[in-house]
Amino acid sequence: MRISSVLLLLIGPATLHAQTVDDGMLFPRRALSAGVVYAHEDWSQYWEGTLKRENGNIGTVTTQRVSWTAGYGVTDRLSVMVTVPYVATRASQGPLQGMSGVQDFMLAAKYQILATPLTDRGTLRALVVGAAGIPASNYTPDFQPLSIGLASRQVSGRFTLNFQARDGWFLNGSAGYTWRANVKLDRPAYYTNGQLYLTDEVAMPDVVEYSIGAGLQQGRLCIPVTLSQHRTLGGGDIRRQDMPFVSNRMDFARIDGMVMYSVPAPRNLGIRVGTSRIVSGRNVGQATEVTGGLFYNFHF
Amino acid sequence: MRRSLTHSVLALALTCAACDHTITSTELLPPLDAASLDSAAGSWRMIVLSGPTQFPVTTPAADTSAAYRAELAAIRAAQAHLTAAQRRTIAYWSAGGVLRWNEIVRGLVARFNLPPAPRADGTYPVPDPENPFADPQFPFANPPYAARAYSYLAVAQFEALKTAWYWKYQYNRRSPAQLDTGIAALRPLSDLPAYPSEDAVISGVTVELLKVLFPAAVEEITQRAAEQRNAALWSGKAAPSDIAAGLTLGKAVAVVFVARAGADGMKNAGGTPAQWQAFADSAVAHGEIPWQSQESPPRPPMLPNFGLLQTWLMTPTDVVTERPPAPPSTLSDQMQQEVAEVRRTVDHLDGTQLAIAYKWNDGAGTYAPPGHWNDIAAEYVRDARMSEVRAARTFALLNMAMHDAAVGCWGVKFLYFNPRPGQLDPNIKTVIGLPNFPSYPSGHSTFSAAAAVVLSYLFPRSSAQFDAMKDEASISRLYGGIHYRSDIERGKEHGARIGGYAVRFAQQDGAN
Repeated sequence: MRISSVLLLLIGPATLHAQTVDDGMLFPRRALSAGVVYAHEDWSQYWEGTLKRENGNIGTVTTQRVSWTAGYGVTDRLSVMVTVPYVATRASQGPLQGMSGVQDFMLAAKYQILATPLTDRGTLRALVVGAAGIPASNYTPDFQPLSIGLASRQVSGRFTLNFQARDGWFLNGSAGYTWRANVKLDRPAYYTNGQLYLTDEVAMPDVVEYSIGAGLQQGRLCIPVTLSQHRTLGGGDIRRQDMPFVSNRMDFARIDGMVMYSVPAPRNLGIRVGTSRIVSGRNVGQATEVTGGLFYNFHF
Repeated sequence: MRRSLTHSVLALALTCAACDHTITSTELLPPLDAASLDSAAGSWRMIVLSGPTQFPVTTPAADTSAAYRAELAAIRAAQAHLTAAQRRTIAYWSAGGVLRWNEIVRGLVARFNLPPAPRADGTYPVPDPENPFADPQFPFANPPYAARAYSYLAVAQFEALKTAWYWKYQYNRRSPAQLDTGIAALRPLSDLPAYPSEDAVISGVTVELLKVLFPAAVEEITQRAAEQRNAALWSGKAAPSDIAAGLTLGKAVAVVFVARAGADGMKNAGGTPAQWQAFADSAVAHGEIPWQSQESPPRPPMLPNFGLLQTWLMTPTDVVTERPPAPPSTLSDQMQQEVAEVRRTVDHLDGTQLAIAYKWNDGAGTYAPPGHWNDIAAEYVRDARMSEVRAARTFALLNMAMHDAAVGCWGVKFLYFNPRPGQLDPNIKTVIGLPNFPSYPSGHSTFSAAAAVVLSYLFPRSSAQFDAMKDEASISRLYGGIHYRSDIERGKEHGARIGGYAVRFAQQDGAN
């Protein structure tokens, strides 16, 4: 009882802000938040294995994404979220065609296992998240870097610790593990990681992610900054002058900043803008992303 | 609520049970139990060698000799302590050396099928066979190089095995497992004479050729070949003297092919900047738009002189007379319509067409189009339970046809120096990599038609399937946005004519 009342206090102003699987926020019970997020990402340099380079045959690769998301507070401790992105890619140079389509349908459930006052400064909370993703169209993963995704079914588990200070500051630490199912190609053989595989099936190495974040949440404003590490547990490097491959060892560290704001009028409307930049990587482009989103909240 | 959480966690866990990560990289092949011994293979017609007696094999010691009995004792001793790894080696090679090496070489082609990266100044280094481990690695196993490599391997193995078969039936020495009840047959027992060992013949001829074709992989190749010989020994199939004689024979035959490879024109296939310019000038002089590299920075065309290489079954005159007619003029209405068709096609691909484009892409980093047809043929060879010598014949016929198809096709490509669709209409964006050489005629179509003709002759009950695969492989280039329809149609006709040479050879080589 005591924990719940603290929680309600905390969650009150944060209603609009629980929008990612790795943050420490939840939707209040029977609150539905629906939104659309646009993201624009581009890179002209990428890591071919560990070698950073440019490539005149692709120039700058741009990925645009429009995601529909919805989150719902089943109880005060359990939220569910769904996301479906539409993705379009293009290369600024060279002969290759960009691709577009509906990417992966993602479903996540976020559950608070603990919320306890820590001294009199704030509250410590622990959350677990289970998520599953499945390709929502039969796009090809075999045209990297212009494929719209990796086309792998996946399941992930995540643990998040969040400390919310009374004065609005918060700290966030999160770690996740993603199991990825084999991917099927349209061709009968492929070469990766030093070996020819005489099959159309590709084993996808699992992925771990961890992140630390800090930010300020006051009134209508929430400003988180996050540093995250993404590591693929296996997979081959892109060979010299080769194309990337779906199961490559894709690693990166990224800095993310975001501003979320619940506008005074109309009520229930929130906006979100953010930017991120990959600071180091392997077999990925050094992407810079800007995002903007609108969310509307319904209370039942 | 707690229950619903449990349920959702359970559901997620179940979804993950579907994430089976096990992938088998090599072909799962049953142990070779040949449908026929092909005991007359020693008299089959040779292609390069003068005959089976060009390389004599010395008389083996008698089964009853002390030396041979000591060899049998050594096998018994080896079999008494076989490790799991040794048993895996036996199982791997028991599928047949010809099939396994074909698979290994497809892996080597895929490994080496990468174009050199540009230098900072926008030029491209040339892979150097004298310095194969440098960047760029040698070779760049592009489609013509791959066609040639597969053919050398297959023809050399075929000639060496025909020679081996001849001597096997001269000496008729039985295998250790047949001669000594204390030796287990860990591979299907056959009445094929053991001396000289066919496994050792294949390993010897293959290693010496691959050292030249893929010098940077010498370590792996040498290890594999030693494993193959060990597998023959451990399995009770061959005695050390069977293996020694086979290895000597295989290496001797290889010398002939290494010499041929050194003088077949490959060394000059890359051409010179003056030649590259001359191709463009010639096209302009004929009132045509010349091909231009669409890469950035522009890359010299792929092996412009490959069309001058020595062929296996065609004379230089045949190569010229079998050529298709000139493509439609780059300025003609027909060309305009064909460009428009490519644009229309790539802009409105359905899922099936896109899948076909990817299935037959066979671009950089893959085993190349000739490798794809070897992949296809391997299943038929396996299912037909062909003896090693007959399997070698199948791959020799297939790969001679595809090598000759590469030579024929490249000659025409550089005769006309025709631009790719995306050069004539920059709005054409491709869904597969754009090959860096002239368009007319389509190499895929030429390779595929030549391969389909040969495989249809060898496996007549499946000719409809080969025909369908050939058509699919060919049209995949239109779906990919990299070829006009006339490239494809003329390429298929050209390839079929070239494949006919291999069929005519096969009809009279004594193997039917």
